[in-house]
Amino acid sequence: MFVLQVATAGIATGSVYALIALGIVLIYKCSGVVNFGQGGYVMLGAYAAYALTRAGLSPPLATVGAVLFLAAVGAATELLVLRRMLKAPVVAVMMVTLGILILFRAVCLAIWGPDQLAFPQIFPQGAVQLAGIFITYNYVAAAVLSLVLSLAFLAFYRFTSMGLSQRAAADNSRAALAVGIHVSNQVSVAWAVSSALAGLGGVLLATLNGLSLTLSSIGLVAFPVIVLGGLTSLMGSLVAGLILGMLEAFTDGLLTPALESFLRAHTSVYSVGALQQVVPYLLVGGMLLVRPQGIFGQRGTERV
Amino acid sequence: MRKPISRLIATLAALSLAVPVAALADVNVCVWGTITGPDAGVNGMSYGTVDYLNHLNQTQGGIAGQKVNVLLLDGRYKLDEELKIYRRCVDQENAVVVKGWSTGSAKALREQVQQDGVPFISETFSSEVLDPVKYPFLFIQGATYEQQMLIGLRAAQAAGAKKVMLMHGDVEYGRAPVAVVRKSGDIEKMGLELVDTIEFRYDAQDLTAQLLRVKAKNPDVVYIQASTPQALVILRDAAKVGLSPKLFIGNMYNIHPSIPEQLGAGAEGFRAIQLYSNYGDPVPAMKEIEAYKAKNQVEKEDLYFMKGWFTGKFIAAAIGNAIKKNGGKPPADIKAFRKSVRDEMEGLKNLDSGGIAPPSSFANHQGPTQARMAEVKGGKYQAAGEWVNAQ
Amino acid sequence: MRARRLAAFVAVAVLAIAGSFALGRFGAYLVHAVAIAATGALALNLLTGFCGQISFAQGALIGIGAYTAGNLGNAGWGFGALLGGGIAGAVASVVIGLPALRLRGLYYAIATLAAQFVLEYLFKIAEPLTRGISGMNISPLKLFGFPLVSDQAYAALSIAVLTLAWVGLAAVMRTNVGRAFLVVRENELVAKGMGIDVVRTKLWAFLLSGFVTGLSGALVGFTTRLATPEAFALSLSIDQVAMLIVGGQGVWAGSLLGAAFVALVPEAIQRLGEAFHAATLLSAMREMAFGLLIILFLLFEPRGLAALLRRLVRGLTRLAAARNPPASAALTASRYPATGGSSEKAH
Repeated sequence: MFVLQVATAGIATGSVYALIALGIVLIYKCSGVVNFGQGGYVMLGAYAAYALTRAGLSPPLATVGAVLFLAAVGAATELLVLRRMLKAPVVAVMMVTLGILILFRAVCLAIWGPDQLAFPQIFPQGAVQLAGIFITYNYVAAAVLSLVLSLAFLAFYRFTSMGLSQRAAADNSRAALAVGIHVSNQVSVAWAVSSALAGLGGVLLATLNGLSLTLSSIGLVAFPVIVLGGLTSLMGSLVAGLILGMLEAFTDGLLTPALESFLRAHTSVYSVGALQQVVPYLLVGGMLLVRPQGIFGQRGTERV
Repeated sequence: MRKPISRLIATLAALSLAVPVAALADVNVCVWGTITGPDAGVNGMSYGTVDYLNHLNQTQGGIAGQKVNVLLLDGRYKLDEELKIYRRCVDQENAVVVKGWSTGSAKALREQVQQDGVPFISETFSSEVLDPVKYPFLFIQGATYEQQMLIGLRAAQAAGAKKVMLMHGDVEYGRAPVAVVRKSGDIEKMGLELVDTIEFRYDAQDLTAQLLRVKAKNPDVVYIQASTPQALVILRDAAKVGLSPKLFIGNMYNIHPSIPEQLGAGAEGFRAIQLYSNYGDPVPAMKEIEAYKAKNQVEKEDLYFMKGWFTGKFIAAAIGNAIKKNGGKPPADIKAFRKSVRDEMEGLKNLDSGGIAPPSSFANHQGPTQARMAEVKGGKYQAAGEWVNAQ
Repeated sequence: MRARRLAAFVAVAVLAIAGSFALGRFGAYLVHAVAIAATGALALNLLTGFCGQISFAQGALIGIGAYTAGNLGNAGWGFGALLGGGIAGAVASVVIGLPALRLRGLYYAIATLAAQFVLEYLFKIAEPLTRGISGMNISPLKLFGFPLVSDQAYAALSIAVLTLAWVGLAAVMRTNVGRAFLVVRENELVAKGMGIDVVRTKLWAFLLSGFVTGLSGALVGFTTRLATPEAFALSLSIDQVAMLIVGGQGVWAGSLLGAAFVALVPEAIQRLGEAFHAATLLSAMREMAFGLLIILFLLFEPRGLAALLRRLVRGLTRLAAARNPPASAALTASRYPATGGSSEKAH
């Protein structure tokens, strides 16, 4: 019972991680850029929804508005910043995205201050008991929305013509150009969609955990997700997100107490600290040693 | 050629910032706090002190007629930032009193303030920096965290609790007091059973799994050794797993309007330790604050602001006495001035704080050691019990 | 030529050391903060700027230097504590780098990120070695039996260490291994084709950069007198990478310029803004400036301040030459031989 409860918590947060990781993989597939600053878009989305509710919109409308706003911000960053860095080395592009993260944090700090804020209620309060597991509506909504949207996105990517153009541009930009696909537009679209997904993820996270600047550090959790799932695989993000969400929940809920009672009984060590932060990265380390392309990814080719 | 030039430029730039700024004969007070950072929610303490001193400047021309230059800086809860600010306060600003913030910085600086001979007040309630003999220049304001914890547990025990759990953040402020209380055996001496201790990441936003762990152990009371932002996360996640807020008791830093505001029913019954009167309580000090508010901007209207206002009175009283003893003018030698203020601080008896705290003496370097429980009822913190002396 | 440059360099360093005793405490603090950060940035420059291996683990490596030196210093070692910090840094750097030898670019960066987090966790947990979260109190460094207590003394010491590291690393770049770094940075396959042992080259890069980083960490420990895990977190790694970018990669002066910029500009903004009494806004502005600096430099001057300054100097001398009669124009022309890209890389 306890195990199931922990697993449920893990699935809910894991599905939001998946949503955010999807965005990062999307951009990477399309342009080879890893958006280290994805957390900034997540945070911005939550704050944008907050601002819109304060301006009078109803919470669901505010969410839609925030998502649209984030799409615009994403496209804008691509056009203004990333496009100029097409020829730059990997380090540089990584640092630029980090710089964007720092900038977004600073802007949110300046406008809304450092304290936690009351995020508007989007889903009804209260909970439901399923098979003895206590789940609040927020959790259900976050899990369901994230999963549905991730799957919808995967379907869009696979089955629609726009998705096809995206895949073509991601696969081989020269060939895509040759066939008449406007690759740079596709990249902008990728950024816009990725930021929109991030913004939505931010709103969902804020309904679960409240609104504050620390939302931006979610980007760091997304990295183990994409390494595990494979930088080039959207499906991988979904699966890995769920796995990592559950891994974190299990570490906190089961592994840590077990370790601690063992250590307290046999040694003078009292606490294992924040094990749940380290476990994903240990997994990443292992993954990189054994199979760097992740569970679902493909080995990249070396261009001489 | 290029290397030496760039070297020179960098050195010159650094030197230009090295010139001391504040003149020596002024009264300078330096305050730092987490203006932006993980515990920014309780920075009313810093604002309160600064505002009180500004209030004195505006209404009485300062302390004993001397205008006070008060500086508020952002420590960002980062040790290297706080240490840098300390040096600036002591060296450049010639502060006669320095008010710091974190437990970590107080511990790092406890010897330094002796060497520098600077009266140092810290917002921490850690017992490790409280020692009138070893650290004569260090002062804190109120009952220590350990004392608060025992008061809270005693109150819970009076209500029938037997099994206790402790939750704390993974910073010095979280760990140290919990470790002290645990090792002292006081919990067992009270007849309570400590079932488990949970340490969590201080800036974590999701503690659901930890609260599931609490639920599994089924304690009668959970004491939180962390600040308001962490209490918000804990109570919110407690609701997610079906635990009642009545289960939790927090320390002094868990009384904040944002808790009932953001959690609504999810905060009803939550208790915390109260050391000072709350903002808006019918005490004489509120009249001063209202008068100040009429002409100035008050950043934080909460209990921490009251603590800050209280510390402002403490500082002003000590400095005022020191100036009077020196014939109405601050001593020209900053070292002598600092020593004199320190002596006055220690010698303060029955400080009248306008009702924020009971009249207190500071020979113990703590000041008021009384505390009482406060409980969230109907969206507000209400007193739940009598004032108890921690000692 | 080289000997003259070296002499000028050392002369400036000695001047700076002497000058630091004249500073107030705050000034001395700033000087040693910049010098120590620059030492770390120098090491990162070797690894990233000259050898092309990105690293987000600087913060943790600095921490290893600090904890090791702190433990040794508390145990009574004098100057050897500094060296001990350096050696620990070197060992840790190689240990982190070894498993990652096969990884390239992005994956290597993520591996260093993982190392940073794992080490941070270890700092909090390994209480016998690090006193965990409470932090380790470090007694002042003892040089020949005399404890160094004043900020000015540490400023002098940091400048000395920076100078030695600079001269040392620049000398390394003139050896075969140094040249191999450059080739590996450009293209590992080509390097292999040229007969360079890429593995050994990378290991040398890890070793040397780790050593200097460890030295920097040791100094951090002695100057702050307290080593806590929070001080060696990811934000420190990002700061170091930012210093490299703002200052300029592949140019030694870039490390110092970047360190000075990243350490001093926030302080300058703070002072400027204090007139406006808006504490939260100020902190936000400092962060904004930091983020903007990174973005703007990467967009418009990816070779950093070093390149900017060089252009400035060249522009000024050209101006001076234009105003002078042709004879001296020939002199100035020979003092600044037409350099294209190559000499900028070989610094």
